[in-house]
Amino acid sequence: MVVRNYNQELEYLEKINSYCWKIKKGFQPNMNVEGVFYVNQTLEKLMLDELRNACRPGMVGGFLPGVKQIANVAALPGIVGRSVGLPDIHSGYGFAIGNMAAFDMGDPNSVVSPGGVGFDINCGVRLLRTNLFEQDVLPVKEQLAQSLFDHIPVGVGSKGIIPMNSKDLEEALEMGMDWSLREGYIWAEDKEHCEEYGRMLNADPSKVSMRAKKRGLPQLGTLGAGNHYAEIQVVDEIYDKWAACKMGIEEVGQVCVMIHSGSRGFGHQVATDALVQMEKAMKRDNIETNDRQLACARINSVEGQDYLKSMAAAANFAWVNRSSMTFLSRQAFAKQFRVTPDDLDMHVIYDVSHNIAKVEEHIVDGKQKTLLVHRKGSTRAFPPHHPLIPVDYQLTGQPVLIGGTMGTCSYVMTGTEQGMLETFGSTCHGAGRALSRAKSRRNIEYTEVLRRLEDMGISIRVASPKLVMEEAPESYKNVTDVVNTCHAAGISKKAIKLRPIAVIKG
Amino acid sequence: MPEFTPEELALPPQKYEYLDHTADVQLHSWGNSLIEAFEQCGIAMFGYMTELESVEIKQCSEIEATGHDLESLLFHFLDELLFLFSCEPFLICSKLVITEFMTEGEEMHIKCKCYGEEFTIGKHPQGTEVKAITYSAMQIVNEPEQNNFELFVIIDI
Repeated sequence: MVVRNYNQELEYLEKINSYCWKIKKGFQPNMNVEGVFYVNQTLEKLMLDELRNACRPGMVGGFLPGVKQIANVAALPGIVGRSVGLPDIHSGYGFAIGNMAAFDMGDPNSVVSPGGVGFDINCGVRLLRTNLFEQDVLPVKEQLAQSLFDHIPVGVGSKGIIPMNSKDLEEALEMGMDWSLREGYIWAEDKEHCEEYGRMLNADPSKVSMRAKKRGLPQLGTLGAGNHYAEIQVVDEIYDKWAACKMGIEEVGQVCVMIHSGSRGFGHQVATDALVQMEKAMKRDNIETNDRQLACARINSVEGQDYLKSMAAAANFAWVNRSSMTFLSRQAFAKQFRVTPDDLDMHVIYDVSHNIAKVEEHIVDGKQKTLLVHRKGSTRAFPPHHPLIPVDYQLTGQPVLIGGTMGTCSYVMTGTEQGMLETFGSTCHGAGRALSRAKSRRNIEYTEVLRRLEDMGISIRVASPKLVMEEAPESYKNVTDVVNTCHAAGISKKAIKLRPIAVIKG
Repeated sequence: MPEFTPEELALPPQKYEYLDHTADVQLHSWGNSLIEAFEQCGIAMFGYMTELESVEIKQCSEIEATGHDLESLLFHFLDELLFLFSCEPFLICSKLVITEFMTEGEEMHIKCKCYGEEFTIGKHPQGTEVKAITYSAMQIVNEPEQNNFELFVIIDI
């Protein structure tokens, strides 16, 4: 590989407009298409600093800057359009986190890559509304936070409380939220407001290893650790009154619940198993990639198909998982206010998946094509009138839920026509890491973080308080910068801003 | 409850540390032999899940792992340990003793005794969850002449 200095590298990058940069072919070897990334002034600096650091002489190790990773993905067989980096991008395993890429299903050489989905398959965000207002909740905020924390199992080593045996698990993997509905954990309307109606039909539990099932069974209905959370939030600002109205958000001050979680150990093991299988398939089919971490297999190979079927089972697991926690949150609220969840109008506004690969129809060079769209740390954002979004949102566009970090705001956006054209209907997913965990731990005191949250009037219940600084806002990019960039670039549109008043974390 | 000898209950000195990585954490372990570096690497992973001082040695499980080279052997060794923690017997370990370490021939093979107890919320402080082991920037320094044995592994968290 050619070694270039920072200024030589910059010649391959071109600023198209204030929010968008192009990565030209040749930046990394064998690029089939160009790359693109969306940043504003602040995020641009972070992005280029990362590249500059990697260009320093004597830099070794596996740390590839996000912009290089976008270009490596552009070199994968069968990729169409462009390899897209969203504003919250940061370096990840193979694909950067905040990277999306689409592969032509009609091209026999096209690949599927578990690294393009991530270890936490169908990690996503769900937003519930209530008809409560901030003043209803403030007097009982501590009790409510405690009650949510008592209801939802959180943190490493916690076990689910929804009774499950291995037969139930098999059914849940196949049926997704249809299982949750049959067992009485959710409302029929919940499914409507969920990508894929909460069930991927190509899921095949028989393709999933025993090992993944064993890891998954005790963890169903648990939140997890790391950046996962359940938050009680308050509507802070409404940018698009009409869209908000369609989502049942009437006024500033209305209380919502946001749940951010994924497929737990089940999905992690499915991804691990697939990576091992694909290493072999790559050797057999002579698939060359720029980075060993970009393990992949042809979509039509046995390994590729097996992965897609087990990934779908993991996606179903994640939906059942978020549904179980939806059930527990409704119970916690109902007990606190002594009314039914129904009377509290605790409907699901929407549920998005930000680590997933899906078969979708898109227009490429004026022709309609069937593509396998990988979104890793990227959220689907379909425009108004798209056939795959629920009838309630046909006129507004799909709601896009952007979770902030502990103590910062979250956003609801909507999909746009421009996003459909430029980024295959994809946008950002959250804040995106800026500092490493170890660095956060060195620079920030956990007591300081907890005190600051308290000063901001946020109740916090956390399973491992000594690790909260890893998730402190300063460890992340500013979510407002990220969302504003997507809005300004036109790939999605701001609708609602939410601020947390209670956080439950692992 | 099984009886353990004082030797089995004695904990080895710490020969590992945690290094910087943007989203994840890198384990770095070393020892007087490759075996010791492997054992230390496993402990380093458990040390990220809880505070190891809280772990008592009450039970012992044996795991086996295989690989076609040292890297895959290390990968599968750690994956087995993660599995031991993630479901029955939910074992959190403060001591690992590798009893077989075959690195010659076609298939490499490892057997390891894992000492610890069932992870219990309330007794064991909750640390960070390990999602998966990765090959990302994995390095195995195996230099018997210099008596230099080091491992670098990034775990996804």
